[in-house]
Amino acid sequence: MNRELIKANLNLHAVLKNLEDLVVYDSETAAFVENWNVSIQFIIWNGPRAYCVFERGVCTVCRGRHKHPSVILLFISPKHFNRMMNGKGHPILLKGFTRLGFLKTEFTRITERLEFYLKPTDELLTDDSYLDLNTRMTLTTAAFAVREIALLDPVGKLAASRIRNGSVNFKILPDGPCVHMRFQDGDVEPGKGEAEKPMALMSMKNARAANDFLNGRTDNFAAIASGDIMVRGQIPMLESVALILDRIPRYL
Amino acid sequence: MKQKLCQYTKSRETFKRATKVIPGGIYGHLSPAPLVPSNAYPFYALRARGSRFWDVDGNEFIDYMCAYGPIILGYHHDKVDAAARQQYEAASCVTAATPVMVELAEYLVDLIPIADWAFFAKNGGDVTSFALMLARAATGRKKIVMIEGAYHGVAPWAQAPAHPGVMDDDHKNYLRIGWNDAAQFERVVSENAGEIAGFIATPYHHPVFADNELPRDGYWQKIEELCRKRGIVLIVDDVRCGFRLDLRGSNEYFGFKPDLICLSKAMGNGYPISALVGTESLKSVASRVFFTGTYWFSAAPMAAAMATLEELKRINGPRIVCEAGKKLTDGLVQIARGYGYDLKVSGHPSMPYLRITNDESMMLHQDWCGECTKRGAYFCSHHNWFISTAHTEIDIEKTWDIADNALKALKNKPA
Repeated sequence: MNRELIKANLNLHAVLKNLEDLVVYDSETAAFVENWNVSIQFIIWNGPRAYCVFERGVCTVCRGRHKHPSVILLFISPKHFNRMMNGKGHPILLKGFTRLGFLKTEFTRITERLEFYLKPTDELLTDDSYLDLNTRMTLTTAAFAVREIALLDPVGKLAASRIRNGSVNFKILPDGPCVHMRFQDGDVEPGKGEAEKPMALMSMKNARAANDFLNGRTDNFAAIASGDIMVRGQIPMLESVALILDRIPRYL
Repeated sequence: MKQKLCQYTKSRETFKRATKVIPGGIYGHLSPAPLVPSNAYPFYALRARGSRFWDVDGNEFIDYMCAYGPIILGYHHDKVDAAARQQYEAASCVTAATPVMVELAEYLVDLIPIADWAFFAKNGGDVTSFALMLARAATGRKKIVMIEGAYHGVAPWAQAPAHPGVMDDDHKNYLRIGWNDAAQFERVVSENAGEIAGFIATPYHHPVFADNELPRDGYWQKIEELCRKRGIVLIVDDVRCGFRLDLRGSNEYFGFKPDLICLSKAMGNGYPISALVGTESLKSVASRVFFTGTYWFSAAPMAAAMATLEELKRINGPRIVCEAGKKLTDGLVQIARGYGYDLKVSGHPSMPYLRITNDESMMLHQDWCGECTKRGAYFCSHHNWFISTAHTEIDIEKTWDIADNALKALKNKPA
């Protein structure tokens, strides 16, 4: 599996997923997209597909094909898509020519906003509201990236092959957010919120501890022992998920 | 009887200091990370004697981990300590080897039927790696068959693939098969005809976070037969079980004869030593493979090992730890049943693995082990326990009381 393809899968299914929270938790974006009514299909030649729908202030990002998208964006390769995600390339518009202006200005504005929240600086992280949203998005990216890495990356596949069936919850205390990953016979289904009857839990003491942990700025074993990170249940599942998460920086 | 719950203020303070200067604070198998919940466990011990240890906060624990296996006669056994002290005072780490090394080798050769020679090192992982080198040197073949999920130390070949620092190439010549599956071994041997140097396995399967499994009837005999037929060196990693099931080697307990046996843990009752013992046919190759370590010739641990083995033989240590383990776990099973819990005991009674089966996620079991530890019985939820000959009837009865109180606390705990 080539690196660009794995990266495209991560960008499409894990990074873009954060648009859903951006329109909810970033007041500037929320106000901006309030009246949008558009569905955008992303097609990557020899690569994955996904779409996002903006409707009445809500954004939904899904895998696969939308039945009647108002806009279709084509990328001639995974690399082409990854370049766009890095702000260095433009898609080919296959459908929705009347929306060209929208894509160039409005949609670009929210993707820039997404980038703002996903690429923190030490200074930005001192702001609690920024920290909260960055942490929430990092958590979502992690959960949805686990599926892609577990299915596509050779080392990720190996780590995933040792994970027993059942769900794993990652939760930031005291009140969330929470994500889960459901492992079933080699498949992985990530989701937001808590899975019922998880086989393993990882709870992070607060957003700061979670942010440090998710961005690899903490000594994980020390964090677990000191109570910043709390683990319970089938710890080998968490260990394997951690091995998969370790692979993300190789691509993103 | 209401029991005082341990507090760990000093343990946590010490750990905080440790995280600044030691990776992970405490690394490796003593890392608190798998101790769940971590706030139920002490991290630092101050002293130990017999079946117990005391932590830096002054809490006292009946210890069912025995330092993860080395302690079989109890902490600070008088005879063992005296032998070590005497040797330390005479000579331990010296420019020349010491006679106690020869005495210990002679003792092991007399004690263990398959042993015609002994080689000493410090840790189990030293001798498992050495055993594989011998198998390769002796056969001229490169592949090793091992059991999926088995523990043989921390060398890259022994770690699970995909772990940090472990490369794909580290696993290139290792074939992993399921435990208790002689047919799979036969298949792998046939598919890799003439390429397999050795088969390494523990006497029975004792992974972490999972029930332990004894060998099926005829399993080891079939493995031995295939190894003999195909010229494969049969290696038993007896590091954890050694001297607990049978002083002559756990293979004698299960009725088979390996070519090499890796020993450590209980051998020195806490003094750092390991040994590889083997058959005459591998003695010459063992002398040709260069393998050594700075402290491998230290004489005091060898003197301690002599004293440990002599004492174990004198008192029939394996019988004592087996009976004590059986008594302890039978009682715990009964107590758990009284609360509606099914406590499953697997493995050998002298090093049992326990798990409350009512909750597949293990959270309930982790909570129970944590509650017991806070009350003074150090229970580990992810690893098999170890019983020593120093565990008394009084210890066991006190442990039952603690286990009962802990279950009561769990029952009363809000969901």
